[in-house]
Amino acid sequence: MLIQLQGIQKRFGGVTALRGADLSVNAGEVHLLLGENGAGKSTLMKIVSGIVQRDAGSMLWKGQEVSLTTPSQAAEIGIAMVNQEALLATHLTVAENIFLGREERGSFGMINRKKVMQQARELIARHNFPLEAEWRVDRLSPAGKQMVEICRAIQHGSSLLIFDEPTSSLSAAETNEVFRIVRDLKARGMGIIYITHRMDELRQIGDRVTVLRDGHTVHTGALADVSTHHLIAHMVGRNVEAIYEREHLEPGAPVLEVRNLCVKKTGLEKISLTLRAGEITGMAGLIGAGRTELCRAIFGIDPVDSGEVLLHGTPLNARTPREAVQAGVALITEDRQISGLALRMSIGDNVTMANVERISNFGVLKHAMQTELATELGGKMRLKAASPAQLAGTLSGGNQQKVVIAKWLFRQAHVFLFDEPTRGIDIGAKAEVFELMGELARAGAAILMVSSELQELIQVADRIVVMRQGHISGELPQGASQEQIMKLAILDSAA
Amino acid sequence: MKKTPLLQKLLPFLSLIILFVALSIASPYFLTPNNLASVARQTAVFNTMALGMTIVIITGGIDLSVGSILGLSGLIGTMALERGVPIPVGIGIGILTGAVCGFLNGFAITRLKIAPFIVTLGALGIYRGTALIISNGLPVHKIPAGFSFLGEGNLLGIPFVVWLLVICAVSVHFLLEHTRSGRYAFAIGSNKIAAVYAGIPVDFHTTTVYAIGGMLTGLAGMIEASRLMTGQPTAGQGYELQAIAAVVIGGGSLNGGEGSVIGTLIGALIMGLLSNGADLLNVSNYWQQVVIGAVIILAVTLDELRKRRAR
Repeated sequence: MLIQLQGIQKRFGGVTALRGADLSVNAGEVHLLLGENGAGKSTLMKIVSGIVQRDAGSMLWKGQEVSLTTPSQAAEIGIAMVNQEALLATHLTVAENIFLGREERGSFGMINRKKVMQQARELIARHNFPLEAEWRVDRLSPAGKQMVEICRAIQHGSSLLIFDEPTSSLSAAETNEVFRIVRDLKARGMGIIYITHRMDELRQIGDRVTVLRDGHTVHTGALADVSTHHLIAHMVGRNVEAIYEREHLEPGAPVLEVRNLCVKKTGLEKISLTLRAGEITGMAGLIGAGRTELCRAIFGIDPVDSGEVLLHGTPLNARTPREAVQAGVALITEDRQISGLALRMSIGDNVTMANVERISNFGVLKHAMQTELATELGGKMRLKAASPAQLAGTLSGGNQQKVVIAKWLFRQAHVFLFDEPTRGIDIGAKAEVFELMGELARAGAAILMVSSELQELIQVADRIVVMRQGHISGELPQGASQEQIMKLAILDSAA
Repeated sequence: MKKTPLLQKLLPFLSLIILFVALSIASPYFLTPNNLASVARQTAVFNTMALGMTIVIITGGIDLSVGSILGLSGLIGTMALERGVPIPVGIGIGILTGAVCGFLNGFAITRLKIAPFIVTLGALGIYRGTALIISNGLPVHKIPAGFSFLGEGNLLGIPFVVWLLVICAVSVHFLLEHTRSGRYAFAIGSNKIAAVYAGIPVDFHTTTVYAIGGMLTGLAGMIEASRLMTGQPTAGQGYELQAIAAVVIGGGSLNGGEGSVIGTLIGALIMGLLSNGADLLNVSNYWQQVVIGAVIILAVTLDELRKRRAR
């Protein structure tokens, strides 16, 4: 037994990330770690690699209790994490990156370039990586960068390696190359923890599997003993409380139609989708499936390569967000603090931002009118704020989201693209946001609701479209189960 | 809409009062009509430039080329006067030159999508070089005597530049606080992505802001030329520091989204008084530069401390 974790708990402020996670990994095995977004996988791996400290539970390393407080402590005892490619110094060579910060110093603290290069060549040759030590990292493919990260992780004899979705941005051939390396490392007796969302690659690489859900370990065992169907059932669970009940209405006429939309830059392939008046269309999929990218393309942020977007039957094809906004389309982004709100401006300023025309005459603002209208709208939405003059940055997440929605109500938009509308807001505010969405639909708006919270999608949406790797993999009617959604999200519809 | 806490708003104002009182006590010449008029004239040039810089900084931008724009505008304006155009037309040509320079900056920033710092750093060299090329490095002297009224004349017993400054300040204040363009300037500086996503024509308004900044700098260039009664191709060197400092001391944030006309005027006056006080107290010109530099750093440090506390 290489590492054994038991009853690991971790809280971040008011959020409980881990409630009692168990995981044990042997030398010479590839141990898969599965779970939905937010199940606690990343937090658990951060604890193993010394980036964060556990609140409770025990961690045995080769039979001895250990407490790791920094990543370098973890590296010293032989635990290494293969980082995302973004953590490389792109202007330096492969060799320099591998040994960055750990170079052997010669006399006067000078770095011995020749020696660094020599060590890198030996390491690359030993594992038969398709790399050259002299290459500059910014010229490498995503797979090449991944391999540099692997070299970095194994360069001083680690015995446990953690891979966090190493193949999420790789092609099929590159994925096979990564698999070859993982198998090679396993054959050398290393323990490997492998996080993935791609159910199709599990059985090519894994020996044992642990499933996390809501911060608990819900299943652990040999991969051969469990069906993919059961793994999915373990991941999604069943007993999530209903937080919102919505009456489902007959949808009206098509409002927004997307036809064969392709965006090469973000990997969207032939997306066709119709949003109808009075209907909430749910959209599920894993992170990186292209849901946010679809919203961006419709809204005119990313240029579209082919295909078209129609609004009420006439071409919209917005090339800028301004064109989309003027046509009545609203985008409620997933990161409202970064792209949704001007945090240092007042609530009133934010509410009127997309439609300053409405509170101005010949370009001159009518402050009293803004205050009046913003107060009225805030009251209708049960916004908890002292006055419209309060700064948006001082509000809670749920109230900030209400301000963003109010901005689009003030613009009188009639197509709403909600990207993760409940991210970072508490249960009570979630229900209120759903009620607002329901009211919008009743008033005849067409709504797209992108969400990774399957239970919420099932409760709120009239139907659910599922995306996978840049295309739409299927559509489910109201009343679909989480298992059905997850299957479409991670397997091809044929499977 | 109050955008900053009360103390932060009052701090520059309190500093100004303290400075004023201290100078009144320290020098018997300070509180005389002549000296105060002289301070007003001295600071009018910086004040006018700083008003333009305020709008630019509110959008999260910066214009390092204002010193060069001032020189080029003053030069082209006085060259027009030299060729015999009526005085108001000559002044108009100077202002227009500034507006064109500012527009070109804004155009390059929004079209080439290059950081304002870089574009205007390059423009600093280009505009200065242009002024030196067209004048052959020689100042313009043959200017009608009536032109001196702009910088040195009095109206109802008060320097004419003070009237001009009041008009500019009221206009810019109105623009920032009471017009759609002003609201957009704050929105762009506060969160550019959110502004784009809200459908605000960000590129257009960014370009306009630089053009307005250039226009005010052009006016400052004509005031400077009028005070010296020459068109100097080298006029305004290093003035960008003064203009940026006035905005920052007055509570403007280089991160964008914050700044006010009142703050900037107070900031420019603080620097004007420091400079005047140093002259009256026979402090060397060399030391003045050190003091002004230190005041800038002090003002920004206080601003940072406030923000960190707020977090």
